[in-house]
Amino acid sequence: MVRPGFVWAVPAAIFFGLFAIVPLVFVAILSFTSWNGLGTPHFNGVQNWVDLAHDPVMIQSLYLSVLLTFLGVAIQTPMSILLGVWAAGHQRNRAILSAIYFVPLLLSSAAIAVLWRGLLDPNFGIPGQYRWLFGNGNLFGSQRSAIAVLVFVGAWQFTPFHTLIYQGGARSIPPVLYQAAQVDGAGTVRTFFSITLPQLRNSMITSVILMIVGGLTAFDTVLILTAGGPGTSTTISAYYMYQKAFQSFSFGTASAIGLVLALVATAISLVVVRATGYDKMRSTQEGL
Amino acid sequence: MKKRSAWFTRAIAGAVVVATGVALSGCSSGSSSDRPANVIHVAIYGDSGNKVEQQIADTFNKTSTVKVILDKIPGANYQQKLQTIISTSSAPDVFFNWGGGSIEQFVNAGYLLPLTNFIKEDPKLKSSFLPSVFNSAAINGQPYGVPMRGTQPVMLFNNKAVLAKYGITPPATWKELLSDVKTLKAAGLTPIALGGADYWPTLMWFEYVYDRVAGPTLFDKALAGDKSQWTSKASMTALSDIKALIDAGAFGTNYDSVKFTDGGSPKLLRTGKAAFELMGSWNYSTQQSADPSFAAKGLGYTAFPSIPGGAGNQTDLAGNTNNFYSVIKNTRYPNTARDFLKLMYSPEFVKAQLAIGNLPTTTNTEQYLSTSASPTYSTFQYNLVKQASSFQLSWDQAYPQTAATAMHNAVENFFTGRIDAAGFASAMQALLTK
Repeated sequence: MVRPGFVWAVPAAIFFGLFAIVPLVFVAILSFTSWNGLGTPHFNGVQNWVDLAHDPVMIQSLYLSVLLTFLGVAIQTPMSILLGVWAAGHQRNRAILSAIYFVPLLLSSAAIAVLWRGLLDPNFGIPGQYRWLFGNGNLFGSQRSAIAVLVFVGAWQFTPFHTLIYQGGARSIPPVLYQAAQVDGAGTVRTFFSITLPQLRNSMITSVILMIVGGLTAFDTVLILTAGGPGTSTTISAYYMYQKAFQSFSFGTASAIGLVLALVATAISLVVVRATGYDKMRSTQEGL
Repeated sequence: MKKRSAWFTRAIAGAVVVATGVALSGCSSGSSSDRPANVIHVAIYGDSGNKVEQQIADTFNKTSTVKVILDKIPGANYQQKLQTIISTSSAPDVFFNWGGGSIEQFVNAGYLLPLTNFIKEDPKLKSSFLPSVFNSAAINGQPYGVPMRGTQPVMLFNNKAVLAKYGITPPATWKELLSDVKTLKAAGLTPIALGGADYWPTLMWFEYVYDRVAGPTLFDKALAGDKSQWTSKASMTALSDIKALIDAGAFGTNYDSVKFTDGGSPKLLRTGKAAFELMGSWNYSTQQSADPSFAAKGLGYTAFPSIPGGAGNQTDLAGNTNNFYSVIKNTRYPNTARDFLKLMYSPEFVKAQLAIGNLPTTTNTEQYLSTSASPTYSTFQYNLVKQASSFQLSWDQAYPQTAATAMHNAVENFFTGRIDAAGFASAMQALLTK
């Protein structure tokens, strides 16, 4: 088989080079300078990096980023798989209901965050009306509940997207497998765990990698819902970078944080791809 | 195969060089010739005061060939956006600021136009304003701003109906405030509404308590570089007074997530869920936009209570002396900017500001007080400012903009108990004064 030459990838490569690699190089250079946005940057060696290594908020932000990503994956994946497999079926009202479930994905991230900020307002929102369930009604007041709110809104927003991935994956499972299982006497649950899930392996890896990269950089939701609060208890690395750059006007430190974030995200993606064998591009239909 | 890969490598290398060149060329700051033609942009802080700014701009545009376009930037993001665009070609020709530290960095970086020439051409541009106010936008002896709103002392607003219901009169002393808080808390209200998520409303409490306990000189010395002021006995007393108020439950438990800039804390005061709010005089126009009848009849206001035994006077004020319009050096139409600024002392401007409850700092304001939306409110404000023995500029505007986040965090952390008095003092000492 003649594989397509690299020439086919040149437009995308140029786009990627121009909008991802070149800015990354600039950020790397800026991280060794101190600059407040006015005038010119001046070099200050590794001062920013040293300060960052000793900054407890930075360490906590990395931990929080990973925590939120992990919780996001843990909650969204089962829901998306179940919804996706359901949506791949041929039930009567499936098409209409799927369209309705898809709506959150069509709204912008900022709009969703503003919406939930209003709904969960500490004084005039829904939790205040149901104090028996929500305590004093201030879901943004403690770290636990603020994280729970962020995970909830993230799940509300992105489950439709991953549902779509799993729907596509489930649709492409050859029916002959299910027929063979039926012949062998397998029930719905057994079929699900022994046939559907293994066949969705590649979709799962795609979805998890997207969730990880998206989760590590999710910024607008945090900005609008909690503004990193209370205090710094939901300040994830992406938000801390914004704070350093545009509130403290310390672009050198912010660039260092940005670089760290890029490296961490790349490292995690590489590990996931290698560990799951994704790069080998094994088909789930070998042997059929 | 080998030939193709050599060509290819060179092509990629060439593309990267071109890309870097393109990116670097975008770094130069805009010169006046590539600014838009026949318009000047005026950036303003987006809030309920914009109606007057729009009215003045419309009046100006009727007789000017070069038009004024107002760019309203949402208040909560104003200073960030300004700092980001000021050095680029999309910088506004004229922009809203608070004088003092808020423009000092821009002056030092050479972005602002000294207004000395404008004043030479039209001396009234300086003489129409109260000198103390005009000088708070002077840096290194040169004028850089023209007052464009009203003076904004911070006062203790209250909901008259709530106070009447619980038989409370507005507190004149700190002790009275504490006992009022106790009564209101027992009744299940949040005694004092606080937009803690914006940080600067919390800062107002520090500004006043420090002034009452230590007098205005503590902050002035600290800003000038004497960091030992923060660990002085007076500073510690002020902090323990604030702590006593917080521990009495005066602010409730939600204040951390409530903002002023989105209407959260004003709504608490307006709907009677809270009895007091310490806020700048613009609170009148904020309440007026939401509910004109509440602003006219239900909103009460008094000066901040005194703290007996302290070094400060009862008549000391904290707040913003005014807001100013400054002009950037690169503006394409300096004459248009000058003519626009002249409208800031016109009778139309004074009357329009009074109509929304603001108190302009022009020398002729007193004659127009009776035309204001609430003559009682305007007269009260006028007397407050006239009798003021000192007027402390908001701390986060007096310090350079780069110190703002650290100061806000220190203030919030102290309120929520994450740091104690010593921690607060060291956080304030770490602030850069340049």
